[in-house]
Amino acid sequence: MRAIEPDSAARRIGLPLAFALGTLLLWEAVVRAFGIREVLLPTPSAIGLRLVETFPLLMQHAWPTVWESVAGFTIASVLGVALAALLSASGLMRQMLYPNVVLFQLIPKIALAPLFIVWLGIGFQSRLTFSVFISFFPVVIAALAGLDNVDKSLLRLCRALTASSWQVFASVRLPHALPYVFSGMKIATTFAIIGVIVGEFITSQAGLGYLILFASSQADTSLILAAIVVLCAFGLLFYGAVAWLERWTQKAFGE
Amino acid sequence: MNAMTDTPRDWLQPTSVAVDRDASYVSVQATRKTYATRNGDVHAVERADFDIDEGDFVSLVGPSGCGKSTLMSMIGGLETPTSGRITVGGTPIAAPRRDFGYVFQDATLLPWKTVFDNVLFPIRTQKRPVADYLGEAERLLKLTDLWAFRDKRPAELSGGMRQRVAICRGLINDPRLLMMDEPFSALDAITRDDMNLMLAQLWDQVHKTAIFITHSIREAVYLSDRVLVMNARPSRIVADIRVPFARPRRAEMQEDPLFNEICGFVRDTIHEGHGSRQDPTA
Repeated sequence: MRAIEPDSAARRIGLPLAFALGTLLLWEAVVRAFGIREVLLPTPSAIGLRLVETFPLLMQHAWPTVWESVAGFTIASVLGVALAALLSASGLMRQMLYPNVVLFQLIPKIALAPLFIVWLGIGFQSRLTFSVFISFFPVVIAALAGLDNVDKSLLRLCRALTASSWQVFASVRLPHALPYVFSGMKIATTFAIIGVIVGEFITSQAGLGYLILFASSQADTSLILAAIVVLCAFGLLFYGAVAWLERWTQKAFGE
Repeated sequence: MNAMTDTPRDWLQPTSVAVDRDASYVSVQATRKTYATRNGDVHAVERADFDIDEGDFVSLVGPSGCGKSTLMSMIGGLETPTSGRITVGGTPIAAPRRDFGYVFQDATLLPWKTVFDNVLFPIRTQKRPVADYLGEAERLLKLTDLWAFRDKRPAELSGGMRQRVAICRGLINDPRLLMMDEPFSALDAITRDDMNLMLAQLWDQVHKTAIFITHSIREAVYLSDRVLVMNARPSRIVADIRVPFARPRRAEMQEDPLFNEICGFVRDTIHEGHGSRQDPTA
């Protein structure tokens, strides 16, 4: 029997997939063997069945969660890069704001979610704002690192070529910062979803967070887990879309 | 002086300056650069006084820390002299100028741009019409054997190729003065030899006024029309040599006894400065 190459695609994709599948099978077998009640832990097959049964309901509740997270993420990314650009361009702004940004970053932001409800009410505004608030920090921190980390000799070259500060930003700092910005944005996708779900937990009449809470009150554990499967699928797509955008930008900038 | 010879050194010039200083192409007048540090003032350049004629390839050669890079930065407008005056074409230098070209020790290419776009970077930055310079970019890339690599990224090139791109970029705006700050010092010895031959050949085509910083004596003598020898502590120009070899320069020039005599003289001059200071690293 010949071993599969350690770096082959079959092994890189097949191995984690096989492990996940094995875990699901084990889960199924254990639940069945010990006769664990469905309300405590449903089998993967029961979750799958519930997912198919309630698919229209799940999609209906997925929509507000999806658009609020995508919107929150987009606003956070734009604001994050803009603030990083400001901090990188102005020494005064950096001295004044950066320590405060770092301090804010350390606050367990989830604890502030109820405040946003108090301020912005129970509509989508509070969830969206909270989602922006929570996913904004990784973008700022990463973008600023990228804008700052430019090779000193490149800056010297720009000075020799009499480049304006805007030219230095647009043609050297920003392209150099792009990989950093994207790594921040990838983290922000997850944070944006967390922000919306937490908002939905607190107060909402729709959304996957609401559905999870509702199903929990009905002791419908299969539906909770079916909603989580949908959330995972969305998170994966979201992350993938950002990763694809990164590849596309790199090609456009030709790196 | 150890290596005394009987032949007259007619290539050694008195370190004199023009009568009408500002009429010189490049004029460095009583220039001093002092940095204030915790341990008192450091004289990066004690006093520099020399003129450069149009079309001359001039090397500044000296040990590390002799202030040659600082001197070039001041001529290029990247640093301001503590005292003294520098003029190029009669105009005092206060800041970098659009009609200068610069090549640094690192190639400093933009990694996300192609070779061709890197060469055109000064044109875009200085908002010149790019279409007017496409032909010049092609000519320079062909002269440096880089035309086939015009669509490659810097990461795909060798160190010597990257430095050649940087030289093309320094020349793209047809500068009236090209400044090269140790452009080959990060390269291995064999690549460096090739680069010297390449630069000498390139010079036969572009005929530019150039200031070239190096700590390699042979490189300086091989490439230059004129070599200014600097010493450290005090940082001053101690010899001014007019290299008596015609262009085009050939590799065989380096076997010539006169070439070796000049190199020996430069070496002795530098070491003399070191020795009198009891420098343990000399």
